[in-house]
Amino acid sequence: MEIRTRDYNSIVIFDIDGEIRRSDMTDETLHQLVKSQLERGRRDILLNFENVEFVDSFGVGEILASYISTNNLGGKLKLVRISKKLYLIFQVTGLVRVLEIYDDEDAALKSFGRP
Amino acid sequence: MNGSRLYRILRRLADIRPDECRAAAALFAHFFLVTFAFYIIKAVKENYQIGVNERWWGYFDLGTAVLIGFVVALNARLLRRLSRRRYLALTGLFFAASVLFFALIFHLIDPSTRTFFFTPLFVFVRYHPIAFVFLFSFWADIFIAMSVTQFWISANDVLNPHQAKRLVGFLVTGGLLGGIAGSLLTTGLSAAIGPARLLLFCPAALLFILAMVRVEQDERDKIRGEAEAGPGGRESKTGYLESLKIVRRDRYLRILAGVLASAMIVGQFINYQFKFIVKAQGWSDGARTSFLATFFLAILVISTVLHLATTGQILRRFGIRLALLVAPTVLLAGSLLVFALPAATLLVWTCVIRGSDKTFDNTISQSVRELLYIPLPADIKFQAKIFIDMFVNKFALGIGAVIYWVLYRVSSFAYKTTEVRVRELGVFAVGFSLVWIALILIIYSEYLGAVKRDLLRKWQDAQGVVKQHVDMDATRLIFDTIQSREKSSTLYAMNLFELVQREKLTPELMEVLDLKEGELKARSMDALLDVGGGAYFQGVGETLSDKDFEAEVREIMALDEFKLVMGKRLAEITAKREAPEVERMEAARLIGDMEPSADISAALGRLLRDPSPDVVHYALGSAAVHLRKAHLPLIIRHLGNPTTRESAQAALEAYGPRIEDILKRHLQDRGERPEVRQGLPEVLARLASQKAADILTAQLALGEDDLEPELVDALYKIRSSRPKIVFRTDRIKSAILVLLRKNYERLLAAGPAGMEGSDVRAAASLGVKRIFDLLTLVHPAEDIVKAYQNILQGSKKSGDYSLELLDNILDRDLKAWLLPLIEDLPAEERLRRLGKLARRLGAASPGEKS
Repeated sequence: MEIRTRDYNSIVIFDIDGEIRRSDMTDETLHQLVKSQLERGRRDILLNFENVEFVDSFGVGEILASYISTNNLGGKLKLVRISKKLYLIFQVTGLVRVLEIYDDEDAALKSFGRP
Repeated sequence: MNGSRLYRILRRLADIRPDECRAAAALFAHFFLVTFAFYIIKAVKENYQIGVNERWWGYFDLGTAVLIGFVVALNARLLRRLSRRRYLALTGLFFAASVLFFALIFHLIDPSTRTFFFTPLFVFVRYHPIAFVFLFSFWADIFIAMSVTQFWISANDVLNPHQAKRLVGFLVTGGLLGGIAGSLLTTGLSAAIGPARLLLFCPAALLFILAMVRVEQDERDKIRGEAEAGPGGRESKTGYLESLKIVRRDRYLRILAGVLASAMIVGQFINYQFKFIVKAQGWSDGARTSFLATFFLAILVISTVLHLATTGQILRRFGIRLALLVAPTVLLAGSLLVFALPAATLLVWTCVIRGSDKTFDNTISQSVRELLYIPLPADIKFQAKIFIDMFVNKFALGIGAVIYWVLYRVSSFAYKTTEVRVRELGVFAVGFSLVWIALILIIYSEYLGAVKRDLLRKWQDAQGVVKQHVDMDATRLIFDTIQSREKSSTLYAMNLFELVQREKLTPELMEVLDLKEGELKARSMDALLDVGGGAYFQGVGETLSDKDFEAEVREIMALDEFKLVMGKRLAEITAKREAPEVERMEAARLIGDMEPSADISAALGRLLRDPSPDVVHYALGSAAVHLRKAHLPLIIRHLGNPTTRESAQAALEAYGPRIEDILKRHLQDRGERPEVRQGLPEVLARLASQKAADILTAQLALGEDDLEPELVDALYKIRSSRPKIVFRTDRIKSAILVLLRKNYERLLAAGPAGMEGSDVRAAASLGVKRIFDLLTLVHPAEDIVKAYQNILQGSKKSGDYSLELLDNILDRDLKAWLLPLIEDLPAEERLRRLGKLARRLGAASPGEKS
């Protein structure tokens, strides 16, 4: 798994490439990367799942831990371009009731309400 | 004067912000002018009242109480019809013109006045002076009530609660200085020019007030901002009856009215006592006016000194409740003294007790009374304040007057000595003081409720939201199941079976998994009996009914033959290093479903040392079932690896409170890997016992930087999940002080320029979050969370309400340390304050750091 970071206004976008699995972990986990952005004062985070095929139970834990850390500081963490298969699983598990998920990056960025 | 110069001057006098200067200066001058006129009129009024027979005194008060209703109605109608600005201008002009009229009347009443014109007015005035004293008393009461009320309405319009709390002391100083100026003028000139001519100074002051009102109204929108104008900026159009309904409907307002009414009645009886004693001295008009003015002057000087020295301090240090209790307690004690003092000392006693009443009224009581209105919504506040100040106060005056009148008739007052009259009045002063104290105790609890009413959560606790909507264990299992489908049919079947056991295999999930009816059982049974590669009982799955499915699997797993086969198979897999990862995963998963034995435990131990995080994940799941003490060091070791940390934490949680001492030892062990130690607080948070909270608190008190975020998070989670857990206040408070000190050091090192830098702000913001998390442990958690969220993301108004709430719920020391860190202050001012506090906390100064 590879994660690249880019900025749009004050929103941090994580482009995730690969699968978020226990066995594919890089030097830093997704949650660690999110936390380091929060420590730098960033509060709006968008996870781009366009190139994510699958996540395992570790990956779900990472996403939710990132969501909790961000929200408890008054920030927002959202997901965009999640695959249909993953979305179905998110639906079944109730994750869609917690996580804001968008089909389109522009709509996701606008939803943060940044000028 | 330009803004920055005005700010430089005013900031020496008050805790003021640059954008508040013009409004604050105008309000200061406004109150100065009101009280300047007020104290001239007051001395003149009291002189004429004392001059008439004491049987009229009750009628003066009763008349004011009865007629004030009509004035309130007229006032409400004016407010409905006119804009605020026009209303203030018209009432100002009315009072200026009418004071000129009374100056003429009292000039004609004066026996030394000679007139060459025999006019009907002159004759009428000379022969019916009591009518004009009555009219003037009534007019003066209206003027006093309206002008002061109008001033505080303006102040409430312009300032929000937190601004008001900071600036109220400054504004009251303006009022006190105005009163001193008015009293000085009266003392100096009353003997020379007489009381009537003194009134001629008032119209000029009233006209200046109109200019100040204009500035205040202009500043109102600027200082509160467009968004804040809301209801506060709207001018209310409701009438007198509506005001009465508002007060009747609202419990807080009813109690507030009761507090003010009882204070009024106590003051009234003290005033009657004062009048009797002064009248008994037998002074002339000029001498009496001069004495009264000197008395008021002395009160004002003492008030000013006390106010500057103590009001702010009392409010800051002791809060509203104690500040409210000071006046009734002292007056109660003073009123009781009258029953023990000899007659010769009564003049001194009455000056002291009335002086105390008026001093409190001018200083602490006035400041606190106004603060009690602040948590009310702006539109209600406006109507209620007018109603209470102008009607309830006078209604209380009416009650006092009726009691006085009854006492005068029933107790044959006219035939008693001054000493006896004063003591009989003292009984009522004592009684109403007790009522006043009781009502204060009630309103304080309501005050905090009223402040909180306006504060809403900006966001819900994310952990709670996740817990509410997502079954995390089931979610992990579902993802594991889906992942295992690609890897191993055995693993997949075992995961499916667990889903069935937990009743989580919903039709929706079956659709996602693309499972057909009956396939599940077949897959599960086949997989269970297929360990080792070959089918053990082919086709058994299809023969089972839904009802017996789970029981049947359990029975098979309990068979000695099954255990034997499985035991051999597990030994084979775990013994050989080159066994494929997927087989090790299957073995690790299967152990969780097997009966415990020494062989199984040994195999699990080997799997817990496996290099593959996926194998370890399943092994940790099985360890959470067998709960063997021997596995604990292996499990704890996995806390240090981010990929296995969560599974290790879940496994340790399954052991329950019996491992708290082991966790504590690892947490305290500085030789342990930091990553492992950082994973332990979460486990203790999940155990959420009193002992777990104590272990975390004790560790936090050691002040280790590496563990601080995890310890604070864990303690906060315990507070959220178990509200009844008790945390040691002394340890939490010292941990908060450590965090405060770190924040001070960070900001002081950055200096005024660097303080606004994003990195410094971000670090400070995280530091502040942790401080608030800790505050939830020793204060009402919901209040602290709301205050934090509103300070961070609320409007200016809700941020100020949050500060007000913190000001009332935090203890004296904590708020002194915390507020300068979170208040909206200019950078230089913040650094100045933090520097002072840092020195007191023993934090390193920037120089020391460099």
